[in-house]
Amino acid sequence: MNPSPFQVTSRLVKDVAVVYPQGYLNNLAGEGLVSECSRYARTGIKKVVVNFGKTDLINSIGISLLLHVMEELQAVEGTLCFTDMSKVQVDIFEMLGLSKFFLFFPDEDRALQFLNVRER
Amino acid sequence: MPLHGIPAKEYLNREDELAYLRRLADPGADALALNVLLVGARGAGKTELLKQLYQRLFWEGQQVVPFYYSFKTAALKSTTFARDYFSRFIRQYLAFLRKEPLLIDASGTPLHRLMPLISSLGLNWMAEGIDNFQENAGQGDIYGQVFSAISAPAGAAQRGGRPILVMLDDFTTAEELHEARRGDASGLTSLFEESMKSSLCPHIITGSPASRLEAIFSDPSLYKGTERLRLPPLPEDIAHDLFVSLLGKEIACDRGAALGLMRRLRGNPLYIRNIARSLRKTGKKALTERDLSECYGAEVSEGDTAFYWSSVFNDCIREKGLKRPVLRLLMHRLSRGECDGTERLSQVLGMREGDMGKALDVLDAFDPGQDGDPVFADYLRSRYLREVEERSARDIQACLREEYGAAPDPSVFEMVIPMGDQAELVAARAVDQIGKNIRLEPDFLNYIQMALVECCINATEHSGSYEKKIYLKFITSPQRLEIVIESSGRPFSPDLLQEVPVEQKLAAGRKRGWGFTLMRKIMDEVRVERIHDRTRVTLIKNINRSEVRK
Ligand SMILES: Nc1ncnc2c1ncn2[C@@H]1O[C@H](COP(=O)(O)OP(=O)(O)O)[C@@H](O)[C@H]1O
Ligand SMILES: [Mg+2]
Repeated sequence: MNPSPFQVTSRLVKDVAVVYPQGYLNNLAGEGLVSECSRYARTGIKKVVVNFGKTDLINSIGISLLLHVMEELQAVEGTLCFTDMSKVQVDIFEMLGLSKFFLFFPDEDRALQFLNVRER
Repeated sequence: MPLHGIPAKEYLNREDELAYLRRLADPGADALALNVLLVGARGAGKTELLKQLYQRLFWEGQQVVPFYYSFKTAALKSTTFARDYFSRFIRQYLAFLRKEPLLIDASGTPLHRLMPLISSLGLNWMAEGIDNFQENAGQGDIYGQVFSAISAPAGAAQRGGRPILVMLDDFTTAEELHEARRGDASGLTSLFEESMKSSLCPHIITGSPASRLEAIFSDPSLYKGTERLRLPPLPEDIAHDLFVSLLGKEIACDRGAALGLMRRLRGNPLYIRNIARSLRKTGKKALTERDLSECYGAEVSEGDTAFYWSSVFNDCIREKGLKRPVLRLLMHRLSRGECDGTERLSQVLGMREGDMGKALDVLDAFDPGQDGDPVFADYLRSRYLREVEERSARDIQACLREEYGAAPDPSVFEMVIPMGDQAELVAARAVDQIGKNIRLEPDFLNYIQMALVECCINATEHSGSYEKKIYLKFITSPQRLEIVIESSGRPFSPDLLQEVPVEQKLAAGRKRGWGFTLMRKIMDEVRVERIHDRTRVTLIKNINRSEVRK
């Protein structure tokens, strides 16, 4: 693990927002992620995929902000999917008893498939 | 005798525990629990903690009446116990009201002689209670008698208008309460259930070994409303302070050597006191590494510590013929680190399967409960060498010294990081490299990094101090990785340390506070202590072979 400064990028695939948090997911970064998701939500997007492929480390504040995103999406009956998490990251959610609240997929394609979206 | 604790100024590092326990019965504070199960290794200071608490309540308190009772092998016949428990309670109550310590110890005084005092204090309800108890005692109903003794504090709390803090020491011995012979009346401990329900009469219960104490409390009737308070060993530096102060000003001791000894003693105050006492007896004024190792060898083979363990051993293993088999079994486990099946064991040790089965049963009940305690291991080793291998005292000392010297010095890294600026990542990088140096698996290290990051974040959030620094210490040995994280600032509130179920947490809108849960899940042990004006969190992870790269 070699945490780098945080950055969040995103793209829209049909009606799904795919978000890419990079580096260290802490309070600062987590808020960036929350506002990115809210931005999409305001335009009526209800499906969000968070791809953790470039995320090095998630701390507990990051986790609490992910819970926040989940609640926002739940309020509009949206769906939140996590993909490309490392074994340790998945484990952490498991340890905290939080895995039942999220949908996990090995990669983005499978999450998009689940959400009935086919790229191109 | 509850008032005979060590002087408060010699009592180190248990302020948090004392404060927590004091809150139990304080009518003003909202207590966190009804009853507390105090668990800790033998010699960790459970009895002393109760005495210190007693002392403070007795002299400083006005409202809460402390009652201390220690279960003794000599008073386990139910009728004897009932009388003993009841009359001690009455005397301690009166002693508190009169601030007269002599009353506590005056165990010979018959209860009726206390009547004038009781009536001069206007405690009619107590006089009635004594009459009732004595009537009961005449009727030969054993359960009734024991029950009325046990209920005395709860009754007094109700009628006397003062809460009572009941402290039951060596409660594991209470399991052996009986009518005429051991084992003829089981379940007498469950009679405590009723009085433990009274909110005016909280109980603090302790005893050894922890596993047996826990087993008694797995009974759901006793379990409800009972919190656990774990009494950790003294931290290394405090242990060293204690050791130095016990040696006294006139004796000098090499600091490195002393710290090595403290590590061997695992911060156990009982061991520290014992060895300091024997070192004083040597009459030497400047102690070297060699002095310490020699004294240690003598201490665990024939000193007070050996005597202590012998009496625990003999008390648990009463059948003479079983002592040797149990000793051999323990030694086998110690050197092999594993428990094989009965058949295999009897082959290896050349013992009959029947004997082996019996020895295993006894061993289960004995449960020294001091896993990984090198002092206990050395005691066993010396006893084994003497009784099974029949080696000479000189041989034994030589073996112990070798064992003492063989313990490798752990490597220690220290660093100071600022709070904020993602400095926790710097600490995470450090632990990564330290772990790599001892060939730990990267995945394993990832978890440790998570725990460490959480700990640093916590320190930052609780700081509020002028000194925005976090002090870190990484201590590694082949068996374990220990990280000590210190920072000044507000103490953590105990609520933070409590585990709350996920659903409850989410429902309460509390999305934060996962840090401690995470640390606990990842590490084998998480200790939180207040050392002077700093909070110290110690994260400990034992290293298994699978976590080390080939
Ligand atoms: N915090 C402490 N500071 C100094 N001495 C202590 C402390 N706690 C315990 N001791 C001493 O250590 C010894 C063992 O403590 P004790 O309460 O008998 O252990 P336990 O009841 O847990 O087996 C006693 O002599 C006690 O006075
Ligand atoms: Mg004790």
